Amino acid sequence: MAEEKKGRAVATSTAAKIPKFVRGNLSATLKAKEEGKKVAAAFIADGQDEIMRAMDIVPAWGESFSGVCAAKRDAEKYLQKAESDNFSRSLCTYATCNIGFDMMREELGGATPEGAPWGGMGRPDMMLGNGQLLCDPRFKWPQATQHYQQDVPVFVTNMYYPPWDPNADHHEQEAIYVKYAADELRETVKFCEKITGKKMDWDRLAATVELSDKTWDLFIDTYELRKHIPTPMDTGDAMNTMVPLTFNLGTQEAYDFYVDLNAELRQKIADGVGVANPEKYRIIWAAGLPSWFALGDFQYFNGKGVVFPVEVTYRGCEKIERLDLPKTNDPLEHIAWRWVRYWTHWYDAAKKRPGSTPKVERIIEYIEDYKCDGAVFHSAFSCRSWHAGIMQQAATLKKVYKDIPILIMEGDIVDISSYNEADTHNRIDAFIETLAASKKRQG
Amino acid sequence: MTDIRDGNGLAAAEKLYTQYGSRARELKASGKKVIGYLSALGPVEIMTAAGVLPIRLKGNVSEAISKGDAYMETIVCPFVRNVFDLAVKGKYDFLDGMVLPHQCDSIDRTNETWSYTLGLPYWHFLNVPHVTDDPSIAFMKEILRIFIKTLEKFTGKAITDQAIADAVKAHNNNRKLMRELYDLRKSNPPLISGSEMMKVLVAAMSIPVEESSALIEAVMKEVKERKPAAANPKAKRIMLIGDQIDDVAVIEAIESTGAYLVMDDLSTGSKMYWQDVDATADPVQGIAERYLRKLKIPTTFVGSADTYQGILEERFGHMKKYVNEFKVDGAILFIYKYCDPYGFEVPAIKSYVEAAGAPVLYLEDEYSTSSLARVKTRIEAFLEMIA
Repeated sequence: MAEEKKGRAVATSTAAKIPKFVRGNLSATLKAKEEGKKVAAAFIADGQDEIMRAMDIVPAWGESFSGVCAAKRDAEKYLQKAESDNFSRSLCTYATCNIGFDMMREELGGATPEGAPWGGMGRPDMMLGNGQLLCDPRFKWPQATQHYQQDVPVFVTNMYYPPWDPNADHHEQEAIYVKYAADELRETVKFCEKITGKKMDWDRLAATVELSDKTWDLFIDTYELRKHIPTPMDTGDAMNTMVPLTFNLGTQEAYDFYVDLNAELRQKIADGVGVANPEKYRIIWAAGLPSWFALGDFQYFNGKGVVFPVEVTYRGCEKIERLDLPKTNDPLEHIAWRWVRYWTHWYDAAKKRPGSTPKVERIIEYIEDYKCDGAVFHSAFSCRSWHAGIMQQAATLKKVYKDIPILIMEGDIVDISSYNEADTHNRIDAFIETLAASKKRQG
Repeated sequence: MTDIRDGNGLAAAEKLYTQYGSRARELKASGKKVIGYLSALGPVEIMTAAGVLPIRLKGNVSEAISKGDAYMETIVCPFVRNVFDLAVKGKYDFLDGMVLPHQCDSIDRTNETWSYTLGLPYWHFLNVPHVTDDPSIAFMKEILRIFIKTLEKFTGKAITDQAIADAVKAHNNNRKLMRELYDLRKSNPPLISGSEMMKVLVAAMSIPVEESSALIEAVMKEVKERKPAAANPKAKRIMLIGDQIDDVAVIEAIESTGAYLVMDDLSTGSKMYWQDVDATADPVQGIAERYLRKLKIPTTFVGSADTYQGILEERFGHMKKYVNEFKVDGAILFIYKYCDPYGFEVPAIKSYVEAAGAPVLYLEDEYSTSSLARVKTRIEAFLEMIA
């Protein structure tokens, strides 16, 4: 039986609208059939959002559903189901949680397993994966799921960006990567056309991409309001407010959400309302997905006067102007450029600081802009994608920037068996003591 | 230099296996540049054409990780961590550089950890795609050309198409010879044991291709001259499936029970040697196709057939052939912990190979002999079950 835990109280009232988004996305997959729409099992940050939205394909976000199961502390039954067919506990638990759910649903002939958190997720008509410089499960998970849903076709695209190499000129390589990504997106469109039986409406796609760009800009404008001291919103909320950008990109609802959030943050700033009172330390969440079952830990930080005005995680966009994208009338090529430049636009800065890397330059930029006193990383044991390489980032940050206090927390995204609240809070307390000592040294 | 001649092939392999990297160290001393690489995706043809010695890096299953964990997370593939630990400790201090092909997250996400920690004069991350469609082949050619340019810059020598074509021929010949050696495992009992074969496979990936071919030929001649032994009718013929198993520990655990290890689907074994590079007008085309489409590894998505069964045939059909050609009675699927690419394939591989007639034992383990006793117990139980 699930161990119920009171959810984290959000600091902004706009963030309180997020469960409606998440529930809406889940229920859309369940209602799709009666609405004559196709459902695609899909992954965030895959470059395929606008294609799906422009073709009325309903995305079934496996990562979201597993996150909900984790937040409800109700993932164990699905993890065990996957484990019963030899999926190791060391594999991505977003995937194994979702596969376990899918296995149960197939055993029920397609019916939603009883007690599925927030009503569960609908059976997909297709699975869209992506090979990236990021995450192996994004192409292995659909392949593994097909073992249980053999009639559901899988299409995997591939979107890369030039790997960081301080001795290489990434500008020379960008066009190769953009061409490849655009070609792959064209293959995605062909596949979606085949499954839906509908042709892509290219004008609609262009309008959807334009709306996404506007959402990217508004997201950054809104998040930059958090630079204010005291910060009006911290990472605890951002783990919720990322939902429209991450799961509803290319929709008016996503854009409107950030209009509301922007207005609320401005009001909080005008009223002098901050997340912590008093705000003693400002910390960057420098990398790592959160433990969805332990989001309350952000409140533990807040209660001690520690706030997170900025995070790298789920800040999956940038001001479009900053990316200096070449003009193109092809919306797929635009997505490709946006994707490649999103990653490479920190490369030049990294080259200017010997020993640095783009990931570290990004952290340094945020530390400076948001006036942070320290950095917290989270290492989730079942996910290599975001969490391997964190030690290198932390060490490089200290080496090329300055000796700021750093905490690397350890846990998981879904599997609660790795979590010990008392130990976690003890480590946070020790980190805060380090912050205090560091600040004292600086006078 | 290790003396490779008729009658001492196995002894030479043993020496190269136990003193891994010794030949590279000798060649380095004589002025040759040595480039290390990880995984079956290392394009050895291009490195050979560049005039450098490619050496595939291995770890040491008997050595505990003592320094690498200060730099690299323990959630990374245990094999990658072990090799990195050896590199940090100076085991590969003869390297002039390294190539990290993008096989999986454990390699991709630790690229900077490797390059910044080791600080070698040459470093290259080869961004191999995960998809095998036509745009991916075109992209693969582009990234191979970038790789060629970086090697040219490093060595100060142009890599001509002719040099690449010659290297392709040399490596294809090497693969052909290794397949012939594999053929000697089809008899009952096999003419060469699994642990002997592993030593040859490991030795072969640490020396220049011509020497590797000479080694295989010497081993072949020696093995063929053996007097045929009487077959043990109760001994089961086993196939080992996995990625980089490069030590005899697990194989000895299998063979010490009396079973014969007759075939593998390992990235150090048949995966490396079963597929040649086609001779193409643009030699890079053949190399791109071989590494992206022909290599049967789980990090290249394959699934173009109309039915799921068809997709399984595309992905695992070669294993069915092995089961039949090598008369396999059972298979051991040995996967390292924290390996998403192989881990997500376990139910599919297991059911496919079992449907092909070979029961499968699935083991998830570390790259370490610390758990060998437990592994051996499970292997013994499996062999009893299929007896």
